[in-house]
Amino acid sequence: MSGATDRIVFHDVSKFYGEVLGVKRVSLEIPPGLTGLVGPNGSGKSTLMHLTSGLLRPSRGEVSVLGISPSRPEQLFPLVGYCTQYDTFPAGATGLGFLTMALALHGRDRADAREQAWKVIEQVGMTDAARRRIAGYSKGMRQRIKLAHALAHSPQVLILDEPLNGLDPMARSEMIALMRHLAEAGRHVIVSSHILDELNQASDQVIMIHGGSVLAEGEIPKVRGEITRHPIQVLIRCDKVHALAARIFALEHVVEAKMLAEGEGLLVRTKDADGFLTSLNRMVLEAGIVVETVAPADDTVNAVYEYLIGGDGGGS
Amino acid sequence: MTPAARDQLRLWLRQVTTLARVEVGRRLFGRGAIAIYILALLPLAIALPRLLFMGGRLRSDLGQHTAEFAEAFHYFILLFVVFFACATVFVRLIKGEVAERSLHYLLLAPLKRPVLVVGKYLGGLVATLLVLLPMTVLSFVLFYLPMGPSATWQFVSSSPGLGQLAGYLAIVILACTGYGAIFLLFGLLWRNPGVASMLLLGWEYLVPFLPAPLKIVSVAHHLQSLSPVPVPHGIFALLATPTPPWLAVLGLLAFTVVLLGLGSLAARRLEITYASE
Repeated sequence: MSGATDRIVFHDVSKFYGEVLGVKRVSLEIPPGLTGLVGPNGSGKSTLMHLTSGLLRPSRGEVSVLGISPSRPEQLFPLVGYCTQYDTFPAGATGLGFLTMALALHGRDRADAREQAWKVIEQVGMTDAARRRIAGYSKGMRQRIKLAHALAHSPQVLILDEPLNGLDPMARSEMIALMRHLAEAGRHVIVSSHILDELNQASDQVIMIHGGSVLAEGEIPKVRGEITRHPIQVLIRCDKVHALAARIFALEHVVEAKMLAEGEGLLVRTKDADGFLTSLNRMVLEAGIVVETVAPADDTVNAVYEYLIGGDGGGS
Repeated sequence: MTPAARDQLRLWLRQVTTLARVEVGRRLFGRGAIAIYILALLPLAIALPRLLFMGGRLRSDLGQHTAEFAEAFHYFILLFVVFFACATVFVRLIKGEVAERSLHYLLLAPLKRPVLVVGKYLGGLVATLLVLLPMTVLSFVLFYLPMGPSATWQFVSSSPGLGQLAGYLAIVILACTGYGAIFLLFGLLWRNPGVASMLLLGWEYLVPFLPAPLKIVSVAHHLQSLSPVPVPHGIFALLATPTPPWLAVLGLLAFTVVLLGLGSLAARRLEITYASE
C-alpha cells in the first residue's frame, strides 16, 4: 500500500452491500486541489466518499488518506471534514450547540469550542439563526450548518457530498468560491455532483464514475484529448463566415463544419485539434477574418461523460 | 506518566464527558424520554393504592411492610421497571442514533470506538439512575407510610431502615450497570434486539429455579445476594450458596467491563447504511 502522505489513495477497492455492488475495483490517487466527483445518482459517488471517511469499510482493497487508514478515526478526523448527503441532525440541536459539541469532541474545552463554533457560523453566514433549533432551518441553512460542521476544525481534507443542493444561485457561487479558495490554499477538496457540468469551471480535476466503476480521472481537457474515437468540436465566432467555411472544408482532418444560426460563426468537428488550430491561424491571417472566439465545444464534463459511456457528447 | 500520555488521557476524558452530557440531556428530555418516566411511575401506582386502602391492623406491622417491599422490589422494581428502563435507554444509545440518522456525526469525530462506547454508556447510566434512584426512594417511603409519617421518618432515617434503603439503592445502581452494558451490546449487535431482551428477561425470572452452575450466569442472582431482606422464591426454587457480596459486586463490574469491551469491538464494525436499516 502506498504510504503517500499528500494524497488520497484507493488501491483496488470494491464495496458490496450484500449482493449489491457499490463500487468495483477502484484504484485512484487524488492530489491536493479541487477534485470533482461526478456521475449520475446511484453511480457510487457517496460510496467512494464514505469509504474515504471510514463510514463504510471496503469489502476488498485498501484506502489511505494522507497516509492514514480510515479505520483510525482518532487519527483521521483531525485531518478530514465530511459534509454528507444526509439532511439530518441530532434531535433538538441548535446550530450553535451542534457545532460546539462537535468541536468539544475534537478535544477543545467548552469555551474554546463555543468561540470556534461562532467563528465558523459567521463564516457560513448563519449568525442570526445560530441559537435556533436546526429542525426549523430551511434546506439551504441546513446545508450551511453541515458545511460549517465539516469546516469547523480546519481540516486538510474536505469532502463535500452534493454541497450545492438546495442553495440559491448567490449561495452556490459563494460556495464554489469558498471551495476554490480552500483548494488554492493547498487542501484536498473533493466535491460530488450528479449535475455533470456543475463543477466544470471550478474543478482542477474530475473523477467520472458510472455503475460503481471509475470511467476516467484527471483534468477535463486531458481526458477529452484521450478520447480519440470522437472528433473534437471547435466553436468559432467570426465575420466572413462563408469565406472561412470554404477554406475549412478543404482541410483533410475536418469531418464536419456547420454554420451557427444567424450566421455568426461555425461549429467544426475535426480529428486533429492541434492541426486544425494551426491551419485556422493561417487562414484567418490570409483572409483577414476578424475572430471573436475560438473555443472547444465538447470538453465539458457532460460531453466527456457521454462519450465515455458510449453517447454522442450530449448533442453539443 | 509522560506529558503525551497525560494529554491523551485528558482528551479521552473530555470526549467521554461531552458524549455523556449530551446523552443525559437526550435520554431525560429528548424524544422517547417519556418511556422511562412512565416506567418509573409504575411502582408508585402500586404503592399509592396500597397506602390508601391498607387495612388498619396491618398499618403498624413493620415486618409486613419490609417483606412486601422486598418482594415488590425484587419481582417488580428490579426485574420489570429497572430491566425495561435499561432496555429503553441503553438499546437506543446507538440504535436511536441510527433511527434519527445522526450516528454519522459521531463516526466523523476523532473518537476511538471504546471512548464512544464508554461515553454513551456513562451518559445512559447517569440518566437512568437520575430517574430510578429517586423512584426507589419514593417507593420505599410509600411502602412504610401506612405506619404514619413520623414512624416512617424514624424508620427510614435510622438503622435498619436506612441500611435497607442503601442496600436497595446499591442494587439499582449495580442492576443499571450490568443490564445497561448488556442492552448497549444488544443494540450494537442486532437490528431488532427485542427477542434477545425477552429471552434475557425470561432467564432472569427463572434464576431461582435453575441449578447452581446456571444461576451464576445471571445478573439477578448476584443482585439477590446483596438484597438487605431475603426474598422467598417458593417451594420449587433450587437453593444455591449465595455469592458473597464483595464477589457479587466485583463480578458484576468485571462482567460490565467485558461487555463494554465487546461493545467496543462491535462498534469498530459500525458502518453508515441508513437506507438498509
